Parts: sequence; structure tokens; C-alpha cells
Amino acid sequence: MSKARYFGLSLTDLTAQSLLALVLAVMMPAYSFAGDKTAADWLEQLGPALNMTSYRGVFVYARGANVHSMQIAHRYHNGIVEERLVLQDGGTGEIVRRDMKVVCVLPEQGKVQLDQIIPSGPFAEAFTNQLIPVNRWYTAELKGEDRVAGYEVVTVALTANDKHRYSHSLWLEKSTGLLVKSHVRTAKGEVLEHFQFTSLEITEDISDSEFEIRSKGREISRTLSGSGSEGEVSKVPRMHGWHLGWRPEGFEPAAAPGSGKGQAVAFSDGLAAFSVFVEPAGRISMPTGASRIGATTVYMRQLESGNKMFLVTVVGELPPASARQVAESVRIDETFVLGVAKP
Amino acid sequence: MDDRLRETLSAMMDDEADELSVRRLLSHENQADVRAQWQRWQGVHDLMHRGRSPAEGVDVSAAVREALDGRARPQNPAAARHREPQRFWQWPAAAAMVAAALLVGFGAGTGWDSDAVSSGTLASAPAPATEASANESPANAGPVQEVALQGLDEKQWEHMSRYLLEHAQHNSVGAGQGSVGYARLVSASGGY
Repeated sequence: MSKARYFGLSLTDLTAQSLLALVLAVMMPAYSFAGDKTAADWLEQLGPALNMTSYRGVFVYARGANVHSMQIAHRYHNGIVEERLVLQDGGTGEIVRRDMKVVCVLPEQGKVQLDQIIPSGPFAEAFTNQLIPVNRWYTAELKGEDRVAGYEVVTVALTANDKHRYSHSLWLEKSTGLLVKSHVRTAKGEVLEHFQFTSLEITEDISDSEFEIRSKGREISRTLSGSGSEGEVSKVPRMHGWHLGWRPEGFEPAAAPGSGKGQAVAFSDGLAAFSVFVEPAGRISMPTGASRIGATTVYMRQLESGNKMFLVTVVGELPPASARQVAESVRIDETFVLGVAKP
Repeated sequence: MDDRLRETLSAMMDDEADELSVRRLLSHENQADVRAQWQRWQGVHDLMHRGRSPAEGVDVSAAVREALDGRARPQNPAAARHREPQRFWQWPAAAAMVAAALLVGFGAGTGWDSDAVSSGTLASAPAPATEASANESPANAGPVQEVALQGLDEKQWEHMSRYLLEHAQHNSVGAGQGSVGYARLVSASGGY
């Protein structure tokens, strides 16, 4: 009896062991290809890879069914990032970046001020310097291998831990960690935004001539502020005259964009970001509610404070219900109302 | 092809276009041009979904026009007469027609009616208008009121574009997203 029991026990042990071995065997390829790298390792590599890999190619970007394609050349040489992006459909236009200097040539077809297009001010760097623990708000998981634009890739899933953010899927090229494809998904799995290289060549052999501006049109150039600005970028949100009563956990104030008349603050959880704009309504009357463009939600509402109307707008990669909750938590300070009352 | 027509085409791909502009598109003198653009976009769209492009060499305009004439008019007779920006013809149904027309082109016949109507809308159904309570809207639960982008007038659209752009530029260099951020930015500046 006891022998039988003993045997039975050892069999169980054996089964467990062989099961473990089997699991390991199944997982092994997934690890060996990645050089034993975990999802977190890949994510850590993501930022540097985007800058320090040299490549050229064409990618498509779709939100909803709105599709754009762009040609890109990117070079990392002697510590300097050079990049040239050329629109492939619609009007002609291009963006050329050399280190911190950006030159933009875009067609004059839009109704918006092109001067606003180029990133300016310290906020651009603020995000990257802010090492927010993404792992707290998303569950990172290695999903396996795939092939994108002719390159072997690993797939990393970043699943949102709560309903206030979207989930992401990332396809990263194996040898460099370059992001070659990405999805932004809802909790139900609906893909809202899609980025993907359709052709790609990772190579150090990119000549200077590939970074020359060739389009004709109005050129706008800006210099991004230096990276030494982290100390100066205050963690205190620059909410002049208003404050937020609520925001989704994990979204920290990033920096204020240099909007002339608007009062804006950006928040980021390290992956997604949203901006809150509060300004006197003026003559424009906006409807109340949310619009969705791919993964971007725009929630608008009017807010009355001290007999003055304010326009509150939340724009960002967050679900409509969360955007509304943020917008509805905005409170106007009395001083702001008084300031507005002045002629 | 001018930007307006291109916008309509884009809106068609977005399942959002009003009847008038679709008619304008279909009566454009250079149909080959229109068709080529549509196929190009459709091709990219399909490529991304790893399918082949069914749009190659198929002229959808006749089928769409027929569908517009045959079915849309009785449903919304006012749209053709007034230029009411708020009253938009149910484009999702038309998109289904285009899809169906493409299928017909490949010999796979289906009816016009499709359940693709829900595409492009918010997950929750439109709630009764809440804009009356302008000061403190208490509703934190319940469905989110949807604002149709097509319903905005030029000033409103301009206003919103500015916000979209400002937000996009946060992402463009920041958030470590590189070209994704730029693409988002271009998408925001390109209009819809």
C-alpha cells in the first residue's frame, strides 16, 4: 500500500516535472530568440531604439479608417539624430529634423495655423525624461514572434490595468528593438489606431542627401529646447486659474504647451497622454460631448463660473468616459474669472 | 481632384460622408482620377489588414449612384434640398453599399442592408442632450454624448483642430513614440 502511495506520489512529481519541462520547452523558443529578454527589457529598449537605430522605409498610420502613409529616413550618427519624413498622400509636405532643429514644410491646405505644428518648448523633452513606471498601469507580456516588413519581430502586449486607458500591442524588430508596428486597442479588442512599416531597411548606409529638404512651400523651423531642461520643468502643473478635481490614476502632469491664449496642461502615464484646455468661451459655442478619431478622444463642455462661460476641452488617447470624467472635474478659480473680466 | 473631393473620399473610407458630397464626387468629370485615389487608399487599407485589394479595376461609382438614387432619397428627402449641415445622411449604410458593390464586382452578391452601421460610432448609444445644464453637469455615469465631427461648423472645426494639433505635438517628440507621434500630428493637420 505504502509502496503504491509512494509510487503515486512520485508519479505526480514526475508529471509536474515533465509538465514544467514541457512548458519550458514550449517557452524556450520564445526566450531564446529574444536572448532571454523579458517584455520589460524590450520596453526599456524601445525609447533608445527609436532614436539610435538608422533606417529608411515607408509606414502607414491609420486612425479609424483614415489612412496616411509617410516615407521616413532616420539616422543616428555621432550622437546626432537626423530624420526626414515625407507625406505620401494628400498634399506634399515634409518634416526634417537634425538633432534639436526641426524644419517643417507642409501644404497650405489646412485651416489651421502651421506655426503650431512644430513641437516647441520644453514639454517635448519632459515626457521622455519622466520615467513613469509604465508597468503599474499596464501588464506587459511577450506574445511571440512575427514578421513585419521583412524583419523578424517580437510582439509585446501592454494590457491596461483599468478602464481609463487603452491597451497597446507593439511589434519590435529583434536585433534593434525598433518599433515597426503598433496597435492601440479598446478593452474589447477593437483596434483604434494602427501604425505599421510596409517597407523597411535597417542600415547604417544613409547618405547626407537623404536629409535635404526637397519640397517647395512655406518653411517653418524651430529649435527644440535642450535636454538639460528637466530640472527646470516643474512638476507642478501650470494650471493658471483652474484645477482638476479628478484624473485617472497614474497620469502625471507633464508640462504646459505654449499655447498663446489657452490654458493647457498635459498629463501622461508614460505611454498615453491627454491634454486639458480651459479658456474663456468667447464667441465660439461648442457642443457638449465626445468625438473620437482613432484612439484620440476629444471631449468638450462649457462651464459657467462667476457669470463667465469657459470652454473645457480634454484631448487625448483615453476612453470617452474617462475624458468626460476629467472634463467634468475642472473647477475655475475665482482669480481666473476676475482676470477674464478685465478688458 | 481638389481637396474637397479628396476629403469626401476620405470621409467615405471613414464611413462618414454626406449625400451631397458623394453625389459631387460621383459627378466629377475625371472619374478615373477619383477611382484611382479610392483604390489607392483602399489598397493601403486592405494591405494593412493583410488582405488583397478588392478595389483594383472595379468601378463602384455606378453601383453607389444607383444605390443613392434608389434608396437614400425616400429616406431623407430634405437633405438634397436644404444645405443643412446638421442633417447628415446615414453614410454607414452607403459604405455598406460600396462594400457590397465591390463584392458584386467579384461575383459575390449580397443585399444592400448590412449591420455595419455601428462602425465608427462610440461604444455607447447617444444620450439625450445634456448641454442644457451648462454649469455643472452631474452625469458621471451613463453613456457619453457623442459629437459628430461633420456636424461642426467651420469655426468650431478650426477650434477643435487647434486643440488636436497642440495635443499631437506633445506626442510628436515626447512619449518616446517618434514617428508615431509625427504621424498622429500629420493626421491631425490633414483634416478629415
